[in-house]
Amino acid sequence: MPTDKYSNMEEKLWILEDLNMMYIRQIALSLQDSDIQKKIDHEIRMRDGACKLLAACSQRDQALEAAKSLQTCSTRIMAYMSELQRMKEAQVMQNIPRRSSDVGPMDDRLPCKGKVAISDLRIPLMWKDTEYFKNKGELHRCAVFCLLHLGGEIFDTDMVIVDRTLTDICFDNPIIFSDAGPGFQLHVELYSCCFEEDYSTGSTPRKLASKLSSSLGRSAGKKLRAAMESGPGSPVSNGGASPLLLPVPSVQGPKYHLLAHTTLSLSHVQDSFRTHDLTISGNEECSYWLPLYGSMCCRLVAQPNCMTQRMMSGWLKVRQCGGDPQSWSKVFAVLKGTSLFCYHRQEDVETNIEPVFTIGINKETRIRASDKDPHSKAQNICISNQYGGEEVTHTLTTESREDTHGWMEAFWQHFYDMSQWRQCCDDVMKIELPSPRKPAPITPKQGSLYHEMVIESSDDLSSTVSDILAQRMQELELRSQLGTSPTWMSLFEENLPKSAGFTRQCTPRLSGLSPSSPRATHQSPLSSQRSPQLGLLSSDASLTSDSDSHCSSPRSHHYGWPEPSSNLSLLSSSPSRLRPRTLSLDAKLSTLRGKGYGGTFQCPCQPPPSSLLAPLPMSSRPPRSPRGAQTTLSCSSSTSSNSSSNSEGNHSPESSEGVSFSRPSPVRRSLRNLRARLDPRNWLQSQV
Amino acid sequence: MAFVPGQPVTAVVERIEIQKLFQGENLILGFSIGGGIDQDPGQNPFSEDKADKGIYVTRISPGGPADVAGLRIGDKIMQVNGWDMTMVTHDHARKKLTKKSEHVVRLLVTRKSLEEVVKHSMGRP
Repeated sequence: MPTDKYSNMEEKLWILEDLNMMYIRQIALSLQDSDIQKKIDHEIRMRDGACKLLAACSQRDQALEAAKSLQTCSTRIMAYMSELQRMKEAQVMQNIPRRSSDVGPMDDRLPCKGKVAISDLRIPLMWKDTEYFKNKGELHRCAVFCLLHLGGEIFDTDMVIVDRTLTDICFDNPIIFSDAGPGFQLHVELYSCCFEEDYSTGSTPRKLASKLSSSLGRSAGKKLRAAMESGPGSPVSNGGASPLLLPVPSVQGPKYHLLAHTTLSLSHVQDSFRTHDLTISGNEECSYWLPLYGSMCCRLVAQPNCMTQRMMSGWLKVRQCGGDPQSWSKVFAVLKGTSLFCYHRQEDVETNIEPVFTIGINKETRIRASDKDPHSKAQNICISNQYGGEEVTHTLTTESREDTHGWMEAFWQHFYDMSQWRQCCDDVMKIELPSPRKPAPITPKQGSLYHEMVIESSDDLSSTVSDILAQRMQELELRSQLGTSPTWMSLFEENLPKSAGFTRQCTPRLSGLSPSSPRATHQSPLSSQRSPQLGLLSSDASLTSDSDSHCSSPRSHHYGWPEPSSNLSLLSSSPSRLRPRTLSLDAKLSTLRGKGYGGTFQCPCQPPPSSLLAPLPMSSRPPRSPRGAQTTLSCSSSTSSNSSSNSEGNHSPESSEGVSFSRPSPVRRSLRNLRARLDPRNWLQSQV
Repeated sequence: MAFVPGQPVTAVVERIEIQKLFQGENLILGFSIGGGIDQDPGQNPFSEDKADKGIYVTRISPGGPADVAGLRIGDKIMQVNGWDMTMVTHDHARKKLTKKSEHVVRLLVTRKSLEEVVKHSMGRP
């Protein structure tokens, strides 16, 4: 009977575990270090508790939380175990039984430790628009959380339930690691678990799971799952350490799998948000799969101790060079951060009184000991700084040689710390204190992802405005070749005063007008009778319809539409990168209004139908020909979903925005309109 | 025209009465609206406050009933025949404007210039 075999196995494993615990205790004892042993004991107790909770709870959320604690505890145990092993090895190498914390004075200088904090983690997701818009039936949800591992500390974030209405996975709470060296390695691991009703389909591929769940009964399915999930000896994505040493007891319930990971170090520290790449494990077939964009945005700051703590303090006599040779002032000096603060009295430091003066100590400071003063027994220390081209030197002297030596030591250590911690020592980076963690907050149903995205991209709308209009121009050019000439074109000719003087021949390009094809800068020439100015617009604009197209920057002979600077990577780069700021759309619109359009500029994001720019008051309008594929360029800077959405939102979004007053009669148009109206990225306008 | 959620909205409004026009078998007003609480307010070129999800007039057909009645492009519609328009979905607004049974719509609209006019008329203190 299979159950007997498993219970037998489990018993053996428990015995093994006990033996392992004894082994660990032995090691810890021999190292005379009880800290780690206590920690391991604590974690094991936590893990047992989590297992029991997992077995007992019935609610999905509780089960997921318990599984998360289980994962964290297991990882912590592994980390402590490996540290224990390392210490044991170090001890064996040294062959001196001593406390691990007793590190004697080393010849090499050790950099100071510091605090590292990571906050505002955001991992963007890349849902296909078909998934987003289909929105029917199964809503594939995953529970995710992050494990952050630095040195001996492992923290986990809160768990977030992700489904396709979410655009990013956000973990806002800051996580602070104290006691990190400058060569720290912060491992960030994203674990996810499929959030299905039936846990029996835990780790099987989704298609198979759906087949199984539909074809087997619940109890049969559970048994099958127990059989499929390999025996309790598997490490179950524990970070790969020795599986038999304290293996994870197999518990029924949700299991987390590693979805993505990355490692951050000192070079990634900055006092602002940065994007980092993630290495994704797993593929689409896994049940725990989420379409990650592949990057992660976070704020990683570090506060080395040399910046926040007092490294050295004591009484000194200070004299400024160039001043009175006898004007020594006796001060209580404190070395902290990038300066040496000098106070009148020692108590002033505590009471936050302003220092008498401050001597800067930074990378450009030079400190040397001198023997200038023959009278005093102690050496003088000269500190030179460059203040805006001038060199200012302060001379310090102390009571005795030991003090001088102590101060020099402190300065050298400080310089060494600053060289090790590099950019963290320019200024103290602020670390927020984490707010108390709420227990499993209910994430409110977020609005459409495109709503939020579009606001961000308002600066880039300028490019799409010009692009849209350029494209419209092309279409109109084509149509005008075929006979109809929109009269509003004359408005452009009149109102746009400057002409760059290009006259090009127009070549009708029938093929190049669908939104998906034109890609790179096309030299689409316009006839000289038509407005050559807008031809310039089109000649350098590229359409943003492709998912991986990079908008070429419109060149300088765009006018009337102030050109956006440098690259408008609307679609390619991760949404978190700061794009070069361009004039806001309102500013541009107001300039346009000023040019005499009568303030009737319609929202350009709403793709005008075939009769273009209808708001411009005009007497006669071109006949509205029903077009097979009205082009729509959505202005949102959503990522790859933009391209496919273009084919989707391919319709005039409003009921009958256009020239004539007639309502749309044909059924297919209303169907198209319906789909366009449901597209949340279009700013709907309705004619009444 | 920014508002604080939860606080009453105050605005200087103009009353505009539009007589619907028969066009074929349809009753039309001759303007277009944009906005709504289900729409993205950031795309509204007429609103001052880009978080304003109100209903705005985005286009006026020249010579149409709305034009004749004095509606201007960029106006924010606060009420239609007594129905509030400051916190409605786009479709709801459209429906309230296009009721076949009503041949007249009385709108309360607001625009920035109205405030200035009022200030002017009151004289600068």
